[in-house]
Amino acid sequence: MTLDFWGLGLQAVNVLILVWLLTRVFWRPVAAAIVARQTAAQALLSDAEGTQAKADAALAEVTKAREEIAAERAAMLASAAQEAEVAVQAKMAEARAKAEALVEAAKVAQGHAAEAARKEQTRQAATLAVEIAGKLLARLDPNAVQGAFLAQLVAAVEGLPEQDRAALTRGGTLVSAAALDDAGQARIAEALGKMPGLTFVVDPALIAGFVLRTQHVVLHDSWQSDLDHILKDLRHAA
Amino acid sequence: MNSPLDAVALFQIGPVPITQAILTTWGIMAVLLLGAFALTRRLTLTPGRRQAALELIVTTMDTQIRETTGAEPAPYRGFIGTLFLFILVANWSSLIPGLDPPTAQLETDAALAVLVFLSVIWFGVQGGGVAGYLRSFASPNVVMIPLNMLESVTRVFSMFVRLFGNVMSGVFVIGIVASLAGLLVPIPLMALDLLTGLVQAYIFAVLAMVFISATVEDGTPKSQKET
Repeated sequence: MTLDFWGLGLQAVNVLILVWLLTRVFWRPVAAAIVARQTAAQALLSDAEGTQAKADAALAEVTKAREEIAAERAAMLASAAQEAEVAVQAKMAEARAKAEALVEAAKVAQGHAAEAARKEQTRQAATLAVEIAGKLLARLDPNAVQGAFLAQLVAAVEGLPEQDRAALTRGGTLVSAAALDDAGQARIAEALGKMPGLTFVVDPALIAGFVLRTQHVVLHDSWQSDLDHILKDLRHAA
Repeated sequence: MNSPLDAVALFQIGPVPITQAILTTWGIMAVLLLGAFALTRRLTLTPGRRQAALELIVTTMDTQIRETTGAEPAPYRGFIGTLFLFILVANWSSLIPGLDPPTAQLETDAALAVLVFLSVIWFGVQGGGVAGYLRSFASPNVVMIPLNMLESVTRVFSMFVRLFGNVMSGVFVIGIVASLAGLLVPIPLMALDLLTGLVQAYIFAVLAMVFISATVEDGTPKSQKET
């Protein structure tokens, strides 16, 4: 076995040439392509980072705008709530005033109604009292009562001025609750000084007493007229 | 009878005998160059399958160089990568009937070993200068200078013998089995020979890279290493 140094040298040159050629034809172009793509990818990544930064900034701006909108909304809601509260208070005050006015009006109406009822009741009570009094007086002895009234009438006639007494003698009507007997008629004539031209009328409605009517004078002296006065006074008082 | 290890000159160019190994080497060179030229004609930013496969090869080579030495692969990619491709294609050329792989001849493996020996010097001088390269023999101390000088020769010699022994033995075994047992029996051995060819190409390239990087690293001054 021998070593061919010519062959060794030629093979070494062959491999060196192959190394030189492949470096230029294969290794460098492929490596350059890898580097170029890595550079392009890096540029894309840089662009993407720039876009990402812009997007982040836009997002931050949008977030800030949303926060401002939310704050504005909250302020508007608070303002609206305050305005609503004021309106509610005003409405409540208005309603309270109306209610108080209604209550006051109702009280007034109630007072008027109560006053009217009280007056009506007073009037009815007066009427009833007069009726009761009339009925009670009617139960008294008619002759005794008529005698007492006759005495009062005689005293009244005697107390009249002469001119009025003379007018009574010229004619008139004497209304009595019961028929006046002769003695009674004589006492009246005596009080007038002469027998007058009187017409005697009986009216049981007088209960007791007399009503003397002339052309110019009407003299009431009966329980009926007294009760009418009392009833009038009571009603007036009510 | 001639030894099968002897190279038979087919013809001569001047004083240089041209053997089959040299012819096969030229053929392999032509195939590799034409293939590289055809494959790298239209490289684009958006790679297709072809370009992706090429970039995968280059990236894998770079990764191997970086993981083996820790150095940037660009200065060594062309030499180491071409060594690997050439040895791999040469080893696998035995699959073509009638062809013996060039790496089964002493001259080819010795030439590769010589190139590795010279590349160690070349990259060592480039990395740390002549002084740096000479300093690499004094690593870790001056006592080791004779041993390191001897090692610089023996380690490439061992590479050359390893490659030659493995490839040549594969060719011999397949030839013997084929002569004894017929056509189909050597196929498993040929498959094994494919694996052996790949492993030997890988080992040769990695060892070359290790030797180069060790020399460059030993020749670099400590101050530069720390920075």
